[in-house]
Amino acid sequence: MKTESPGVEATTALLQRFEPVIRSTTGDKFYPMDVEPYVRACSLWVQRPGEEAVCVVPGGELSLERLAQQPMDEAGAVHFLKFTDTEDLRIESRGGRLRVFRRRAKNRKESRRAFRAGRGRLARVGYFSRFVDALYSIALLARGRVPGESAAAASVAYERIMSEQERYRYHGRVLRQDGWIVLQYWLFYPFNDWRSGFFGANDHEADWEKIFIYLSESEGEISPEWVAYAAHTYTGDNLRRRWDDPEVEKVGEHPVIYVGAGSHASYYAPGEYLTELTLPLPAPLARVTGAIRTFWKTRLGQYVGDGEEDGGSGYFSIPFVDYARGDGLSVGEEGDRSWDEPRLIADPTPDWVSGYRGLWGLYARDPFEGEDAPAGPMYNRDKSISRAWYDPVGWAGLDKVAPPAETLEAILEQRADIISGCDALRDEIDHKSRQLKKLGAELAAMRDRSHLDAPYQEGTRRVAELSGELNRLRGKLATDEAVSESLAEYAGRLRAGERDQARAHISRAHRPASEDELRVSRVAEAWAAISVSLMLISFVGIAMFEREHLISMLVFSIAFFAFVEAGFRGRLVNLVSSANIGLAVVATLIIIYEFFWQLVVAAVLVIGLYVLWDNLSELRR
Amino acid sequence: MLLILEVIGLVILGGYEFLQVDWRGIDLRTPQHQAVEVAVFALFIPPAVLTLLSALSFLFLQRRGWLLAAIAQGLSLAVCLWLYSWFQPGYVYPIMAYCTLMILYLNSQDVRMVFRPGKSPQASHEN
Repeated sequence: MKTESPGVEATTALLQRFEPVIRSTTGDKFYPMDVEPYVRACSLWVQRPGEEAVCVVPGGELSLERLAQQPMDEAGAVHFLKFTDTEDLRIESRGGRLRVFRRRAKNRKESRRAFRAGRGRLARVGYFSRFVDALYSIALLARGRVPGESAAAASVAYERIMSEQERYRYHGRVLRQDGWIVLQYWLFYPFNDWRSGFFGANDHEADWEKIFIYLSESEGEISPEWVAYAAHTYTGDNLRRRWDDPEVEKVGEHPVIYVGAGSHASYYAPGEYLTELTLPLPAPLARVTGAIRTFWKTRLGQYVGDGEEDGGSGYFSIPFVDYARGDGLSVGEEGDRSWDEPRLIADPTPDWVSGYRGLWGLYARDPFEGEDAPAGPMYNRDKSISRAWYDPVGWAGLDKVAPPAETLEAILEQRADIISGCDALRDEIDHKSRQLKKLGAELAAMRDRSHLDAPYQEGTRRVAELSGELNRLRGKLATDEAVSESLAEYAGRLRAGERDQARAHISRAHRPASEDELRVSRVAEAWAAISVSLMLISFVGIAMFEREHLISMLVFSIAFFAFVEAGFRGRLVNLVSSANIGLAVVATLIIIYEFFWQLVVAAVLVIGLYVLWDNLSELRR
Repeated sequence: MLLILEVIGLVILGGYEFLQVDWRGIDLRTPQHQAVEVAVFALFIPPAVLTLLSALSFLFLQRRGWLLAAIAQGLSLAVCLWLYSWFQPGYVYPIMAYCTLMILYLNSQDVRMVFRPGKSPQASHEN
């Protein structure tokens, strides 16, 4: 990998030429800001294993320079910033508490006025997910989490910074890798209030998001080829879009980003995105389920549903909705606000980026890390260097794609390699073919010579081995020749100016919920909200008052809930199909149990009759 | 065709079972076990009607035919299992076996692809 960066002025100009336009959602309170005033408003803490967190630099005394000058600490120690000091909020006086309470109530009211969730997230997923979601919410009480006051306090602190100087800023880095020029736009938000503000998965202080644009250079001309927007922890091909993909909205040369409310995840199109935190099955159980699915599909030719051929994504998932409606404040070209000049992350890497490996906000000690603040652009939470930093091309799955100017060259080089490989293969095949013929002649000479039985056996084994190897080599040669031909065709298409399909690399694109999915009655929402509790209460009721008919009542109530649920979610076909399969399995077991010997006799009879029919038809021929 | 065959089978089976009982000699206070078994055969009437309707829908290549047929098979099988748990009448076994095969057939890849939502069954048949 080769990385180097151009001069400061050129870097700034290049970044500004393609800087993104961000469109947020109404109700969002935090926007991309410069790290300097944020750090100035923070205090720096260190959490050593088994000890209380200690303040290293108090609020008001911290700067970007000082941030990077932290001493090495013992293993397991975590440095972190505190943007909202909850100690300040825990005012002992009655008046103080009242003020905090009023501020939180005001914030909530404003949020509610500005943001309406629309169709509830729970109405979009099934029972299992709702049940796991309830457990997740209960677990939050026990897990480390950002205190409830933090979002309100962060909002106040952010407003204070903005009132001093209203600035919208990104942090830009330009580097070259594998023939690409990569423009990195690092967006820093002071707070992620996805959970407290928008029914999301988590809250945390500080939020680093990123947008990368990949440029190619040909004869001094620079042109954008790909973009990649970060969303949660996703990486790879599905993040990336080609510049001419209609999904990539642009204002002039500026790509438009729809930002998730609270989460600040970046999306290509406006809408509401269902994001599911999937909990996979334990490995042995997953293997058994996979084997049953394969048998069910391939041997029995049964239908397993759309998109489930790869074994399904998971069996328990917690649903969250990312509201990226784009109806709020927009920053950038033709937006409500303009970008300030970017803060450059140029070579040599500034110390605040490379020297500070801690978290950029509160360390909540959440075992799932969702409530812990993120590390800076260069690091992961565990202090390792992040892939987006050292391999931005591979992070978006672009490492297998050559820049347009190099594509033809890459194709021709690959073809030349294959052709020379084919020549070598032909020589090897010729040599081995001659060897095989000689061995065959030797075997023929030894046949029916009892004193040569041992070498004959050995020769037979060697002939079989060599024949197998020749078969493999000839197969490889045929494949390589076909690949070489297809490379020649591909080169021809490229020379004629043809391009690949813009979306061929995408296997699972994030799509916002469709109008149909969002159109749902209040009854369905109410049902989604109460159904899990209602089902559990009905189970208890049956267990207490209908013990005589426990099984049948349980079956009836489960069937009732499942039927209503399937009706609301438009999955009646799936329900009927699954129920039928379950009933068919039970019926089959009963039939086998009741008529085991009769079935064995019938099977033997059928086999006998088949063999008879087969033999008689051979006789007739 | 298979669905119509099923309805005919149910009618024949029901008729045969019905004729096996001497209805005039039944004491309504203590009915014979066999008479009760035959009486509950009436539970198969709704699934049989559904099966007939689904067969007609299949003839006209309507997508709801598949759902009707699947519900009918599920209902028949549920009735069979319930009867098996209470009376274990002999007639439930052939119905169980037939319904199981029908469920496997209805759930097979080819059939499901033809009646998949968003895809016109007619268009599939043209292919």
